Amino acid sequence: MRLELRGITKRFGTLTANDHIDLTVEPGQIHCVLGENGAGKSTLMNVVFGLLHPDDGEILIDGVPQRFANSGDAVRRGIGMVHQHFMLVPVFTVAENVVLGFEPTSRLGRLDRARARQEIRHTSQQFNLEVDPDAIVENLPVGLQQRVEILKALNHDAELLILDEPTAVLTPQEIDALMAIMRSLAASGKSILFISHKLKEVRAISDVVTVIRQGRVVDQVPPTTGESTLASLMVGRDVTLTVSKEAAAPGAPVLELDDVVVRDDRGLAAVDHVSLRVHAGEILALAGVQGNGQTELVEAIVGMRPVESGRITLGGQDVTGATPRSVLDSGLGHIPEDRHRYGLVLSLSVADNLVLNAPRRAPFAHRGTRNLAAVRGNAESLVSRFDIRTTSVQAPLSSLSGGNQQKVIVARELSRPLQVLVASQPTRGLDVGSIEYVHRQIVEQRNEGLAVLIVSSELDEVMALGDRIAVMHAGQITGVVDPSTSRERIGLLMAGATGDGHE
Amino acid sequence: MSTVSRRRTRGIGVFMALLGLVTALGFGLASGSAARSSLTFNPVDLSASAPLHLGTLTLPTAIANLVLGLAMAALGVELLVRVPRRGVMARFGAVALLFFLALLLWAVRTTGPAPINFVNVTAVLVGASALTMVLIFGSLSGVLCERAGVVNIAIEGQFIGGAFIGSMVASTTHDFFFAAVAGGAVGGLLGLVLAFLSLRYLSDQIIVGVVLVTLLSGLSSYLNLQVLTPFPQYNTGNLAPNLPIPLLTKIPVLGPVLFDQSGFFYLMIVLVAAVSYGLFQTRWGLRVRAVGEHPQAAATVGIKVIGVRYANVILGGVVAGLGGVAFMATQGQFQPGYTSGLGYIALAALIFGRWRPSGAVVASIVFGLSLYLSYNLQTFQVPVSTEVLGMVPYLITIAVVSGLIGRVRPPAADGVPYQRD
Repeated sequence: MRLELRGITKRFGTLTANDHIDLTVEPGQIHCVLGENGAGKSTLMNVVFGLLHPDDGEILIDGVPQRFANSGDAVRRGIGMVHQHFMLVPVFTVAENVVLGFEPTSRLGRLDRARARQEIRHTSQQFNLEVDPDAIVENLPVGLQQRVEILKALNHDAELLILDEPTAVLTPQEIDALMAIMRSLAASGKSILFISHKLKEVRAISDVVTVIRQGRVVDQVPPTTGESTLASLMVGRDVTLTVSKEAAAPGAPVLELDDVVVRDDRGLAAVDHVSLRVHAGEILALAGVQGNGQTELVEAIVGMRPVESGRITLGGQDVTGATPRSVLDSGLGHIPEDRHRYGLVLSLSVADNLVLNAPRRAPFAHRGTRNLAAVRGNAESLVSRFDIRTTSVQAPLSSLSGGNQQKVIVARELSRPLQVLVASQPTRGLDVGSIEYVHRQIVEQRNEGLAVLIVSSELDEVMALGDRIAVMHAGQITGVVDPSTSRERIGLLMAGATGDGHE
Repeated sequence: MSTVSRRRTRGIGVFMALLGLVTALGFGLASGSAARSSLTFNPVDLSASAPLHLGTLTLPTAIANLVLGLAMAALGVELLVRVPRRGVMARFGAVALLFFLALLLWAVRTTGPAPINFVNVTAVLVGASALTMVLIFGSLSGVLCERAGVVNIAIEGQFIGGAFIGSMVASTTHDFFFAAVAGGAVGGLLGLVLAFLSLRYLSDQIIVGVVLVTLLSGLSSYLNLQVLTPFPQYNTGNLAPNLPIPLLTKIPVLGPVLFDQSGFFYLMIVLVAAVSYGLFQTRWGLRVRAVGEHPQAAATVGIKVIGVRYANVILGGVVAGLGGVAFMATQGQFQPGYTSGLGYIALAALIFGRWRPSGAVVASIVFGLSLYLSYNLQTFQVPVSTEVLGMVPYLITIAVVSGLIGRVRPPAADGVPYQRD
C-alpha cells in the first residue's frame, strides 16, 4: 500500500498539534516518524488511523483520497495500528481479541470459535508469529501481547501497519525479535509507519526517517544520518548524547542490603536473597529485564512493601520494614518508576507537588496550617533552578509535558539533604533533551558524594551511568560487573547465566 | 487459574467448613437426643395440578443436623483440598440450602410425643421462589448494564416504576401481558434517563442511580396518594394466574416450585438462558464485554461504545421494569415502599454471582431463601431475631466485596465514563 499524507493539519483549541504535514509511505517501506514527546507524532497517527479527524489536508491510499469516520473505516481500508498502550482486553483470549469487531459467526450470531482459532493459526504461520490462540492475554508477557496486537492488525488484512513507540515496553531481546518481525513484514510487501524517539532503533530499522518537531516536518533523511544530527534535528539544538563523567571516588557504603527477600503481590519471592552495597559517591546501576524483581526491590527499600527476611540499612541505621516517611526522613530520595501512580498528584499544582514529601513540616507548614508563601517561594526557586517549563507554579501538574513532570520529581527529591538517591527508570518516556538533563543531574549528585542506585531496563542508560552494574534475573543478582563489560556478557547475565562478578 | 481466585475458592471452602461444624454442633448435638423434627411436602391447595402425595417425614433432630452439618463441612473441605475451577458457586449454594434446612429442622424440633410443629418444605420453597424470581430479574438487569460498563444502581427505582405502572395496567386491562409491556417500557425509559445522563453528560453513575431511586420512591408515594387512593379501581390487586405445566407439576416438591408458576417465572428462566448464551457465546456478547472491559480497544476496531452502552442500559432497564411487574404480580397491589430494598439486594446478588447470569441465579436463590425465612420465621417461634436473617444477604455481600473471602473482579471499565478523544 502506498500511503500519502498531504498537508495534514490538526488543532486542539489554540494548539496546532500537526501543521501541514506531508509524508509518503511506499509499499514495503519502513518509514520512521522521529520526534520528541509532544512533537505531534501520536496525533498524526491517530489521524491516519481515523481516531481523530484532520482540520485540513487529505489522506490518500494508492492515490485515492479517503475519509475515515472512525478507526473501523481505516481498518477496512487496510490500516492497522499497534498502540503504545495495547488495545487488548486483558481477560479475553488471544483469539477473542484478534477477531473482536470482525468476528466469524455461525447461525444466530453465535461466535464461531473454531474458525477464529483457525484464522489465527493461519495468519501466525503465514507471518511466523507463534502464539497460542487460547491463552488469556493478561497472562502473556508484554512482548507476546504486542505480537497479538500485530496479529490482530494482520488478521484484519492490514497492508500498512502503524507501530506507535513499539519498543517502549520491551526488553532488548524482545526488541530484536520485533525488528525481525518488522523486516519480514516489509519484505512481504507490507508498509510500516514506525513512531519512535529512540535514535539507535530508528537507524537500525528504518528505510526513511521523517523528523517532526512542534507539529511540523523538519526534514526527511536517510537512516544512515548520524545520531547527533538526528538528535539535533529532533530537539532543535545541539545535544550531547553521551554522559560525561569522571571516575568515581567511592566512599563508605551508605545503602546496604543483606540477604533481602521480598514477596510480590502473588506471594512469590520476587526478590530472592539479594545483597547489595551502594557506596557514597558512586552510581550502582541495577540492570535487568523488567519484571525480574527490580520493582519489588525498590519498593522494599523505600518502605512501600514488607521485607520478608534480611536487613536493609541506610547510613548504618536499620530501616528494614520502616514506613516510607521515616525512610525519606533518614535521607533517601526516591524517583519512582511510574510517576503517574506514585510521586506526583497530577491534579495538584506544580508548587504543591514540589512539597509533597514534606507538606506538614517547617517551613511549609506551621502548627497544622500551611505556609503558602513558603510553598510558593520554594516552587519559584526550584522552577528556575531546574528549568521546569510551566506557565505558573500554580498550574496543575497535568498541564506539564512528561519531561517537565519528571523534572518536578527530580527537583523535589534533590532539593533536600540526602544520603542516597534511588531512581527507577528515571528517563522512561522522556525525550532526548530531558534525558540529557536528568542524567546530568544524577551524575552531579554522585560527584557531590551521594550514593545513587539507578534501576533501568535500558541497557544504554545502565552502561552510560553506572560506575558498577548489578544484573538482576528472577529475583537474584546474577552478577556485579564493570561498565566496560561487553553488552553480550551483560545480556547473558540478564538472561540468567550466573556470572563470576566480584563483590 | 490465578492465585487470587484460588485463594478465594479456599476462603469459601474454609467458610463452608466452619459453617458446617457450627451447624453440626449448634443445631445438631445441642438439640438433645429426645428432639424430633417433622417435614411435610404437600402444598396447601389440592387442585388438579397438585403433586403426588408424600407422607410426613419425622427425623431425630440431633442426628439429622449432625449429618447435614458434616455434609456441609465435607463440601467445604473438598473445596479447600481440590480447589476446583468450576462449580464453586453451585457448591456454595448447596451448602446454604443445607444450612437453611438445618435451621428449619432445629426451629421446629419438639420433644413431646406428637409433632405439634413442622416444616412444609414445598411451601417454604414456593414462597421463597417469588422473592428469588424478583432478585433474578434485578441482577440480570445489573449484568446487562455492568457488563457494558455502566453501573445501574437504579434497579430499585425501576422495580418501583414497573410495579406501579404494572398494577395500574393490570387493574384496568386485567391482562398481565399489557402490564408487563407497560412496566418494561417504564423500566426502559428510566434506563434511558440513566444512560443519557451518564453517557451524554458523564454524570456520576452512582449519583444518577440514587437520584432515580429517590425520585421514583417519592413520585410513587405521591401518585399513590393522589391517584390510587381516591381511585382504587386502578389498584385492585391482581395476582398473576399460575400456568401449571401438565405432568411436570406432579413431581413432588419440584413440581410446585418450578412448574406451577406464573408467566413471569417462566419468562425469567428464558431470560437467564438468553442472557447467559448471548453474553458468552455470541458476537453481541463479545462486543458488550469488550466495551465493559476496555472501551478504547473496542472503539479501535470500530465498535460504537456509546451505542452499545445505551442499548444495554435500556435493555437492563426493561428487564428490571419487568421485575417490578413480576413483584407486583406476587403481591397483588401496589403499595409505596413495598419493594423495601430488593433492588439493592439484587445488586448484591450480581456482585456475589461475579457478574455472571448463572452466578446471579445461585446468589438470588440463597438471598431469596434467607429473606423469605427472615419474613416468616416468627411462625416457627424461633428465638433468633428475624432481622438477623434479613441481614444475611448484606453480610455475605460485604464479606465478598471487601475481599474477606477472596476478591471479586468487576468488569474493568465498570462505572468509568467513556469519552471519545
